[in-house]
Amino acid sequence: MKLVADRLDRISPSLTIAMTAKARALKAAGRDVIGLSAGEPDFDTPRNVKDAAIAAIERGETKYTDVAGTLQLRQAVCSRFKADHGVEFKPEEVLVATGGKQVIFDALLATIGPGDEAVIPAPCWVSYPDIVELAEGKPVIVPCGENQGFKMRPEQLEAAITPRTKWLILNNPSNPTGAAYSAEELKALTDVLLRHPDVWVFTDDIYNKLAYGGFRPATVLEVEPRLRDRTVTMNGCSKAYAMTGWRIGYAAAPVQLIKAMDKLQSQSTSNTSSVSQAAAVEALTGPQDSIDTMREAYQRRRDLVVEMLNAAPGLRCHKPEGAFYVFPSMQGCVGKASAGGARIETDEDFCNALLEEAGVACVHGTAFMFPGHFRISYATSDSVLTEACGRIQKFCAGLR
Amino acid sequence: MPALAKRLDEFQISASVVMTMKGRELAAKGIKVISLASGEPDFLTPPHAIEAAYRAAKEGDTKYPPQDGTRALKEAVRRKFRRDNNLDYALDEILVTNGGKQSIFNALMATCDPGDEVVIPAPYWISYADMAKVAGGRPVPVNCPQNNGFKLRPEDLEAAITPKTKWVMLNFPNNPTGAACSRAEMQALAEVLLRHPHVWVMTDDMYEHLVYDGFEFCTIAEVEPRLRDRTLTVNGASKTYAMTGWRVGFCGGPRALIKGMINMQGQATSGVSTVGQAAAAAALDGPQELVRERAEEYRKRRDLVVEMLNAAPGVNCHKPEGAFYVFPNIAGCLGKTSPGGKRIETDTDFALALLEEKHVAAVQGSAYGMSPYLRISYATDTASLREACARIQEFCKGLA
Repeated sequence: MKLVADRLDRISPSLTIAMTAKARALKAAGRDVIGLSAGEPDFDTPRNVKDAAIAAIERGETKYTDVAGTLQLRQAVCSRFKADHGVEFKPEEVLVATGGKQVIFDALLATIGPGDEAVIPAPCWVSYPDIVELAEGKPVIVPCGENQGFKMRPEQLEAAITPRTKWLILNNPSNPTGAAYSAEELKALTDVLLRHPDVWVFTDDIYNKLAYGGFRPATVLEVEPRLRDRTVTMNGCSKAYAMTGWRIGYAAAPVQLIKAMDKLQSQSTSNTSSVSQAAAVEALTGPQDSIDTMREAYQRRRDLVVEMLNAAPGLRCHKPEGAFYVFPSMQGCVGKASAGGARIETDEDFCNALLEEAGVACVHGTAFMFPGHFRISYATSDSVLTEACGRIQKFCAGLR
Repeated sequence: MPALAKRLDEFQISASVVMTMKGRELAAKGIKVISLASGEPDFLTPPHAIEAAYRAAKEGDTKYPPQDGTRALKEAVRRKFRRDNNLDYALDEILVTNGGKQSIFNALMATCDPGDEVVIPAPYWISYADMAKVAGGRPVPVNCPQNNGFKLRPEDLEAAITPKTKWVMLNFPNNPTGAACSRAEMQALAEVLLRHPHVWVMTDDMYEHLVYDGFEFCTIAEVEPRLRDRTLTVNGASKTYAMTGWRVGFCGGPRALIKGMINMQGQATSGVSTVGQAAAAAALDGPQELVRERAEEYRKRRDLVVEMLNAAPGVNCHKPEGAFYVFPNIAGCLGKTSPGGKRIETDTDFALALLEEKHVAAVQGSAYGMSPYLRISYATDTASLREACARIQEFCKGLA
C-alpha cells in the first residue's frame, strides 16, 4: 500500500521554496547572496502590538479560545472593515485563522468537491490552485498579461465561467505583480458576477494597506453590496502590521459559510494562538501610523527598483499599484548566454544564473503560473535594493 | 449559499464544544455553572515559558517560521523524545504543528485515500473519527469496554485489521477514559501490529505525563523499535505544560511521512506562531518539577472525584491510570425521571438534565462512541470539583 494519499500528488512542489533553499545553500557555502525572494516585510512588529501580547500573557490569556477566535478580536475585525471599507459585519460573520492561508484552506475545503471549478487570474500565488486541487476541484487559470496591467478583464471572466464554476479568487493587490484593482475596474468584474448568481467570490485583500501614489485598492463589497451573500473578504495582520510570525488571518463572510469553515477548522487546528489574537486586537484597533511609515518606505523602494530594473538591458518592469513586489519581464534576455556561460532560455534559467553568478535570489514567474517574468520582493532596505539592482543591471549587461 | 462540500456533511461540531457553549450560555444568564466539560488544564503556563515568549516578542522573533518548526524548538523536541521516550528522531523526522490536532490532521490528510480504514479504539476522542472522514477514510471503532479497563485487547485489534487498514490510532492515557497501557499490554498490541506490515500506527501521547500511583508511561515505538518506521508519535505542550492557548503540538515519525505532512501543512496553515514556539521550547527544556507537582495535584482530584461519584446512586466510576478525565457509567440512572421532570433514557438526556437542573456541565459518552457514560474532566480546582460532585450526587438521588 502506498503511503501518500492521491491528494498530495496533486500539489505541485513549491518552486518558491526550492529557490529559497538554493539561495540558502549558497549562503551557507559562504557566498554573498542577496535574498529578494521572501514575501515578508522587513519591518519589526510595532511595539504597541508586542506589548499587547505580553499583557495578554500576564493576564493568563493562554487558554483555548473559541475556534473562530475571541469575541474581542472578531469585534476588532468588524470595526476595521467598517473603518476601511464602510462595510458592516457582525462578529458571527467573522472567522480568525492561522494566517490568511488557513482562511483560504477553510473556505475552499468547505465548499469544493470533485469537478468544481475556481477561476483564478494569473499570475497568481500558487497556493490558490494548489488548495483548489487539494479539495479535488479544478483551477481555471486565466492569463492576465502585462499589457492589461496584470488584471483580469470582464470579458475574460465572463468567458471563464461555466456551470461548474464555484469560485472566483481575486488577490487585490496581487502577489506576485503588485497590480491592484480600482473601484471602477472591480465594478466591471462584479457586474459579470451579478449575471452568475451561483458563483462565489473570494477576495484576498492581505496587501490592501500597501498601495502607493494615492491609489486605493477597492474591495468587492464596497463596490457591489449585492454580492454580500456570496463574498468572502479575507485579510490579516501579516503584511500590514509586519506580523507574519504571529499567524493571524481572518475573513468576513455569510454566517452559514463561516459556520462551515469553523467546523472544518475545529477538526484541523482549532483556534489560532490566544496570545497572537490579543496582539492582533491591538494591531487592528490601536494607532495605525506605523502603516503610514511602512507605506512611505515601500513606495520609495518601489520607485527605486522599477527605475533601476528598467535601466537593465533586456528587462521591462511595469510600475505596480501596491504590495511589495514587482514582476519584470525578462523576455528580452531569452536566447542569450550569461557571462558565466549559462544559456538563458526560460525564466528559470535566468533566475538560476542570476543567483549563481550575481548572487541575487528572486523567484521565476513559472512559480506564479506565468513564465517570462520573475518576482522581486522589495521588502528590504534601500541600500540592499540598490546593490541588488546594480548586480542585476550588470548581469543583464553581460548577457551575449 | 453554495452547497457545502461532502467532506463537511459527515461530521458534527464536537459535543464537548456544544456542552461548553451551553454551559457558557447559562453562566451568561447569571447562573453559577460548574463546567467539567472542557479538556483543558486549569493551571497556568510555566513562568520560564512565559519569559521565553516575552523575549521572542521583544527581540523581533516575529517573522515567518519555517513550515516544519523553528530549529530551536525541533532540537528541544528531539531532546524531549530522547529523554522521556528513549526515541531518537533526527530533525527532519520532527514536525511542529498548530496543536497536536494538526499533527493528526496532517497525517490522515497526507495518507488516506477513499476507503482506507482507520482503526480507533472506543471510547475515543471524537476528532479522530471526524478527521478520518474529512480525509476520505473510514473510521473503524473497536469497542474497549469498561470490563477490559477501557483498553484495547490484542485479539480485538487483530480482528479489526483488514487489507484496507491504513492506520491504528492509540491514545493512552486516553481521552475520555483516562485508561493507560502498561508496557506488557503495549507489547501485546505491538505483536499484533508486527504481523501486519501494511498498517501504520499513530499514537497520541498528549497525556503522557499525567499518570498516577507510580504508573509508568510507555509509547509503542519505544516498546517495539521494529515498529518505529511505521509509527507516528504525537505529543505537544498543551496538556503537560498547561499551554492550550499557545497551540503548539509536535510529532516524530519516518522521514517520508513527515515530508508528506509538511507538504500538507504548507497548504493549510504554514508554520506555527514563533512566539508560541519559543515558549514551548523553554517549557520542554526547562525544569520539569512543575509537571510532577501538577500530576500529584491531579491524582488527588481523581481520587476525590472517583470516590464521590461512586457514592452517587446509579453511577459506577472506574479509577483510571491517567489523563484528567473519568468516565463513569450511568446505566443505573436510565429509565428514571429527574426532579425537573426529564425522562432519562440516554446519557445525552442525563447530561442535559444535569446541566439544566444542577448546572454542572459534563459530556455524554455517546460523543466518544460509548454509552451510557459521562465524561468528566477534573482539570479544575478541588472546591469546584467537590461542589460539582455533590450536585451530581444530589441529582442522582433525586431521580425516581
